[in-house]
Amino acid sequence: MTRSNRPSARTGALLAILAVALAACGGQYPNSTFLHWSDFATDIDFLWDRLLVWGTIVFVIVEAILVYTIIRFRARPGAPEPKQTHGNTTLEIMWTVIPAIILVFIAIPTIRTIFKTQAKAPASSIEVEVIGHQWWWEFRYPQYGVVTANELYLPAGRTANFALKTKDVLHSFWVPNFGGKRDLISNRTNYLWFTPNDTIKAVAANGQCAEYCGDSHANMKFRTYVVTPADFESWAAHQKGQAVFGVAPPEPPAAAAPGKAPAKKGAASGEVALSESAAVVTGFVFPADKLPAYVIPRTPLPGGLALDDATLAKGNADSGKAIYSRSTCIGCHAINGNPMSMGIIGPNLTHVASRYTIAAGLYPNDARHLSAWIKNARAMKPGSLMPTLGMEMWDPMMKMKVTTGGLTDPQIADVVAYLRALK
Amino acid sequence: MATMAAPISATSAETSSPSGIWSWLTTVDHKRIGILYLVTAVFFFCWGGLEALVIRTQLIGPNMKIVNAEQYNQLFTMHGTTMVFLVIMPLSSAFFNFLIPLQIGARDVAFPRLNAFSYWVFLFGGIVITLPILFGLAPNGGWFGYAPITTMAYSSGYNIDYWVLGLQILGVASLAAAFNFITTIINMRAPGMHLMRMPIFTWMSFVVQFLVILAFPVITVALVFLMFDRFFGTNFYTIAAGADPLLWQHLFWIFGHPEVYILILPAFGLVSEVLPTFSKKPLFGYPVMVYSGMLIGFLGFGVWAHHMFSVGMGPVADSVFSLTTMLIAIPTGVKILNWVSTMWGGNIRFTTSMMFGIALVAMFTVGGISGIMHSSSPADLQQTDSYFVVAHFHYVLFGGAVFGIMAGVYYYFPKMTGRMMSETIGKWHFWVFFIAMNLTFFPMHFAGLYGMPRRIYTYDAGQGWETFNVMSTAGAYLQAVGMLLFLYNFITSWRSGPKAGNNPWGAPTLEWALPSPVPDYNFAHIPTITSRYPLWDQKAEELVKSESETTIDGRLKTAKELGIPMPFPTIRPLIAALLMCTMICSVLFIHAGNLPLALTIGIASFLGLTFTLVSWLTSALE
Repeated sequence: MTRSNRPSARTGALLAILAVALAACGGQYPNSTFLHWSDFATDIDFLWDRLLVWGTIVFVIVEAILVYTIIRFRARPGAPEPKQTHGNTTLEIMWTVIPAIILVFIAIPTIRTIFKTQAKAPASSIEVEVIGHQWWWEFRYPQYGVVTANELYLPAGRTANFALKTKDVLHSFWVPNFGGKRDLISNRTNYLWFTPNDTIKAVAANGQCAEYCGDSHANMKFRTYVVTPADFESWAAHQKGQAVFGVAPPEPPAAAAPGKAPAKKGAASGEVALSESAAVVTGFVFPADKLPAYVIPRTPLPGGLALDDATLAKGNADSGKAIYSRSTCIGCHAINGNPMSMGIIGPNLTHVASRYTIAAGLYPNDARHLSAWIKNARAMKPGSLMPTLGMEMWDPMMKMKVTTGGLTDPQIADVVAYLRALK
Repeated sequence: MATMAAPISATSAETSSPSGIWSWLTTVDHKRIGILYLVTAVFFFCWGGLEALVIRTQLIGPNMKIVNAEQYNQLFTMHGTTMVFLVIMPLSSAFFNFLIPLQIGARDVAFPRLNAFSYWVFLFGGIVITLPILFGLAPNGGWFGYAPITTMAYSSGYNIDYWVLGLQILGVASLAAAFNFITTIINMRAPGMHLMRMPIFTWMSFVVQFLVILAFPVITVALVFLMFDRFFGTNFYTIAAGADPLLWQHLFWIFGHPEVYILILPAFGLVSEVLPTFSKKPLFGYPVMVYSGMLIGFLGFGVWAHHMFSVGMGPVADSVFSLTTMLIAIPTGVKILNWVSTMWGGNIRFTTSMMFGIALVAMFTVGGISGIMHSSSPADLQQTDSYFVVAHFHYVLFGGAVFGIMAGVYYYFPKMTGRMMSETIGKWHFWVFFIAMNLTFFPMHFAGLYGMPRRIYTYDAGQGWETFNVMSTAGAYLQAVGMLLFLYNFITSWRSGPKAGNNPWGAPTLEWALPSPVPDYNFAHIPTITSRYPLWDQKAEELVKSESETTIDGRLKTAKELGIPMPFPTIRPLIAALLMCTMICSVLFIHAGNLPLALTIGIASFLGLTFTLVSWLTSALE
């Protein structure tokens, strides 16, 4: 009996081992809820610290008494009959009152934080409409006339007030580094606001749908870039207009890293020269060299989809535009400046090449992944509403091969070249 | 204390109860029905555990392809649904059935045939929900089935249908059983068995039955709405018609939170039996334990929206539900400390049952503390729908409910089967389970706080979650090893374990005065109870007067020889349950577009059910 008489001592040992194991792995936790990147996250973490301290105190006391009890009072041979106590009113009142007092210490900051974080957002806030779709995110900036998808830019130091809506089922908007989540409820508009710290120069964070929403719930991610206000204004001013089309050649597909995408800041920060000339002038985009590894998708590409480099290199943006404009693409996507393309079901592609990811943060936005995506999106993202377009490809949802209206590989290379030019 | 039960003369507890499959199909004996529940639930436990193993294998590393998204979503839906409705609830039912009449000194439950009906309805409902996974058609909307994803517009397959219909069927089983047990406990207590002398397990069961009666109609309403939406084109949850999805969420959680206490209170009850026996001390603060159980049940109806802090209810509602949730910590904390005080000053014997009982106290404390962390609604906004929550409720349901039930299984196995389980294997089982459980679920706290959401079939590399997931998966496999040890122990001990006496543990409550296994009539003479712990305060012989129950050759007398009227076995509850299920499931043919067939099967089943019920009601009970 002695060998096995102290389960809770083992608990302690186990927890200690776990703690060591966790400390030893020393990994990075890029999506941690403990980073104080906004006022909201700071307030929550303040509460969490109290919860953790009180929780640990209660845990240690209760488990210590338990362990002491089972060691001290284990049956010994010849031990006298235990005293048959039936209770002790004083003790029981005591351990009713003490937890109640502890709870007061938790309840007061809780209520305070509830009312603080759910107060009305300041009037100077930047308004962001977040619209959930199965399975991607639409972001609209009504004050700036910008519509984009899956990559959220926010200025540091200015409160962002999110109006959360959904086009279909429930979703939940969550960027752990910036605070708690809020659900997107059909037929309702929800609100959430936080102010990214004004000390931030440029940070990138992962966002993720946190309410189960069907097949690709796991694949409904987004990126959040918090940048200086000047950089944000530059980005927004450019995103509002059309893409400067026709100048940028498609990238060498070998450079699969998404970091290669767009150019640096347009002009000096803040002043954006959106000249009508053919010069390659773009607005601010989060600098590729500052992208941390954890926002670069590593989802493996299903085999046999991507086009070979030679075919991709032959892609022609002008014919790509023509193919795009007469294909099913325009049924769902909008491109500002292409009058044929006014769909609203899928992500707005006006500046698609200025984004680092496609498919809601699932794949890097490079020629190789984009070609595969156009060819057979449904093989790359379960349940995707974007149909399989590649000629002779197997559509896993329709359970048939694409024939009429399918795109050949050279056609896809052209479309890729077009989309890659939409900076 | 009169204990270690001077074994009642009848060591050979063989009675002339019938055997064979037919006897099990027609049984109305609460003890046999309890065993049926136990065996069925253990089977579903293995089934749901296998689902969890596939889930954990898929999550062992980033971007794994063991299953695809659709299969994964079916698996996590079925794992949750199975463990809640087909494992923990029926495991508790096994003990309600087996123990309540024995603990209160009754010969059976109030309505023995209704009791059989409950079991068969549960079995068929379980089959309706479980079977489709073999055909890749399992429900895939989560165990919580949030509208609108469960509506036709977003789930047009049959998957959700099985869930909607199966849960309604299971609800019938739970409600019928609840009314039965309440009637039994109120009306059938032996003389002297005052309410405040009832064993604490029966008390907790009593509270749970009221929770079932108040909570299950709410989910039934929610499910009927959904069924009407799916089969008859109504618009309770139709987004396009302007429905508010929060209707489902409120209804579901008004059921769902009391359901948590429906799952945990029976385990609390079992542990409250085990700890005093193996400490050789009465339960510390019995009245407070009773009242705190009632208070937990009562408060459990006032906290449902703490599952919904992220839906944007506004600061007032968030505050109210935060506070009510925190309040529940008080009676729960009292229970924990009263259990510790029960052991304080005792002579603690570390049997397998006791070890599971102590582990419940230790592990439920962890789950309770993380529960308080959720109660602070702003903090919960970071935790809800993350793996932190998964960690929390597995500490509550595995470290709490499952450990408590395991304590009960090891404790009552001798009473159920007449044989002892192996303590050696039992202790291996305990340690493997205990270590595996912590290895699986503790790292999930970290995964969640480091941003890993729930219900994702895959995750990308480099997110900081790999280590935690490897640990969890290793723990899950270790749990499977523990479960195999348990199954081996369970099966071999049932076949050839050493014979148990009437009271192998020296336990104080009434059921231990009876022979093991208990004869079909339970009590040859209804005992008169004079205290809360009759076997510690009275001689067992005085309680059950065993001499007159045995024949000269030491065999227990049959009910007939004793002149006790016993209810006839009957197949009618099984047939009624089957026809009720086919009647409800006939609507599946409406989905298939075959209305005539649906009507034919529905009406035929209805007529058959009516006929069976008439024959049930007009046939002699005993």
